[in-house]
Amino acid sequence: MSAGAGPNEVTVHPLCVGAKVTQVSVSEAQDHKVEPPPSVAAAEAARRRQLAFQRRRDRRGLLFVLPFFVIFLMFLVVPLAYSVYTSFFTTRMIGGTVFSGFSNYTQALSDGAFWTGMGRTFLFAAIQVPVMVVIATFFATIFDMGVARFGGAFRAVFFLPFAVPGVVATAMWGSMLQTRVGVFVRIFLDLGLPDPNFFGPGHLLGVIVVIAIWEWTGFTIILLYTALKSVPRDVVESAIVDGAAFSRIVTRIKLPIIRPAIVLVVIINVIGALQLFTEPYLLSPMAPNVSSNYTPTVYMYNEAFSAYAYDFAAAIAVVLAFIIIIISAAFLLSQRRKGALV
Amino acid sequence: MSSATVRVRPSQAYRRRNVGVSSDIPLHLYGLRRRTINLATLACGLFTLFTLVPIWWIFVSSTKTATNVNATFGFWFAHPFVLWSNLKEVVSNREDGSYLQWLGNTAIYAAIGGVGATVLSAMAGYGFARFNFRGKNILFIAVMIALLIPIVAFAVPLYLVYAKVHLDSTMPAIFIPFMISPVSVYLMRVYAGGSVPRELIDAARVDGAGEARIFVRIAVPLMVPALATVFMLNVVSSWNNFFLPFIVNNSPKLYTLTQGLQVWFWHTNIAGTAENFTAITVAASMISITPLLLMFIVLQRYWRGGLLLGGLTG
Repeated sequence: MSAGAGPNEVTVHPLCVGAKVTQVSVSEAQDHKVEPPPSVAAAEAARRRQLAFQRRRDRRGLLFVLPFFVIFLMFLVVPLAYSVYTSFFTTRMIGGTVFSGFSNYTQALSDGAFWTGMGRTFLFAAIQVPVMVVIATFFATIFDMGVARFGGAFRAVFFLPFAVPGVVATAMWGSMLQTRVGVFVRIFLDLGLPDPNFFGPGHLLGVIVVIAIWEWTGFTIILLYTALKSVPRDVVESAIVDGAAFSRIVTRIKLPIIRPAIVLVVIINVIGALQLFTEPYLLSPMAPNVSSNYTPTVYMYNEAFSAYAYDFAAAIAVVLAFIIIIISAAFLLSQRRKGALV
Repeated sequence: MSSATVRVRPSQAYRRRNVGVSSDIPLHLYGLRRRTINLATLACGLFTLFTLVPIWWIFVSSTKTATNVNATFGFWFAHPFVLWSNLKEVVSNREDGSYLQWLGNTAIYAAIGGVGATVLSAMAGYGFARFNFRGKNILFIAVMIALLIPIVAFAVPLYLVYAKVHLDSTMPAIFIPFMISPVSVYLMRVYAGGSVPRELIDAARVDGAGEARIFVRIAVPLMVPALATVFMLNVVSSWNNFFLPFIVNNSPKLYTLTQGLQVWFWHTNIAGTAENFTAITVAASMISITPLLLMFIVLQRYWRGGLLLGGLTG
């Protein structure tokens, strides 16, 4: 996580700053005579003054980060802490709210409904993320190397779904696929084929995968494409001179160089995929197979706002957050060990 | 001594020598066959089809009467061409609150959320990149951990906290969380680190400029590409967000477009009301994506997606 110090940043040692200030003034007044070197003791005192000055100035940096952290604390950390706090209590109709230790957690962890949804969401992520990242990498490479004609136009078109809210994307696909009347279904029926029943138990998750791929591929392409564009020219040129084939240049040079970008894209998408909510929730009136525990987030929502079991919902949220953080952190660390700089 | 005065960042020196990146290499040098190029173009064409099919469907459907949306072939226009009356219907429908109100709400949330996230993350990123205050590393680690925290983890608790302080179903309750964007802070730190030279800041300090003035007059102009990217990203994610407003707001007057469309879309699935709602929901959906598409076209040249991944080119 040390990426905060940019790769191109030249770190200036704090001690150099004083020297540089002198330089600036010297260079600004070049016609002045160069002063005789001061004594060692005076230089030492000046250096110490400079350091104290620097420390005072650096403290002002806190003022720059403060506004963000005030909001961060109030609207993210406090709710999170409250969530953890609530999850240790249970509210009953009679008796009010009582401390119940880990009982919400043991209930969540031993809850078949939670794990069914979790399993389904894992399956969703395991299909959607790799398929989408492969598609996006394929097109990003094509655009980067200029293989396809009209690359710029295609790139712009592929990016369009990023402007479409998930709600609208789901409404469009849902309407096109809905039983009996959806345009795709009617094509099947007109050809004399049976209704494919896109919202049936076997196909529903696939439909959601398609919607998610439609929504996010273009954005992912742009991320990978811009990463590919920063690959230095001479590296690829020398590979060409050495007679490397196109496929080898892609798989052995370009993709390894942008590996940190791919890792980050995978993590962002896994985090998103495991929170799956909007698509199944919106489809639920036309797809009865969307159960109240279809995904952990849907389950949490229903527990909170239909069953009013806020404490239990908070425990579900904490468990889900833990699972997501552990998975993404583990993935990050495993990639880091392999040499990817994230 | 004077040799150390002007320090060129290695990246700049590098770019000066090798103008251009590997993308500029002419294709024929790779020795590809024409067939490969045709196949790649075909693949792009197929994915274009996949991308445009729903957008084409929604455009065509928004010109149809409610009955015709499902009764006629979805990918082509049908006889009564009623786009204008559909749009008028959308704008004037007040059954579940006003669509125009939702549009206005969403514009306000997205604008405040986008500007707020940009300002907060630009300040924080600059502070992290150019100052060495105590606790800096711990704070930055907190930002990085927040990157991994899913929104579901704090949405319901946020609602509960709001309810406690009577902030639920108010405008600030919806747009303030949009201002927290850890990824923007990260991006701004990387970008400020690479684009705002310390020498320049020090020179301004010697000239007597205050820190706020240095930030506004020197750092911000140098960070414009990153500011534009972060702004666009946050406007889009605020505009498109559904889950957070859905959880923390249940007043129809304060609905976002996505909330309102969800309600309308659900209406289309209820027998009886379906007929009336199909056409206007379709038309309303089409209106809702237009502002962002326009913004993309206008701001396209400022878009630097690669910044998100810590690259300074792109």
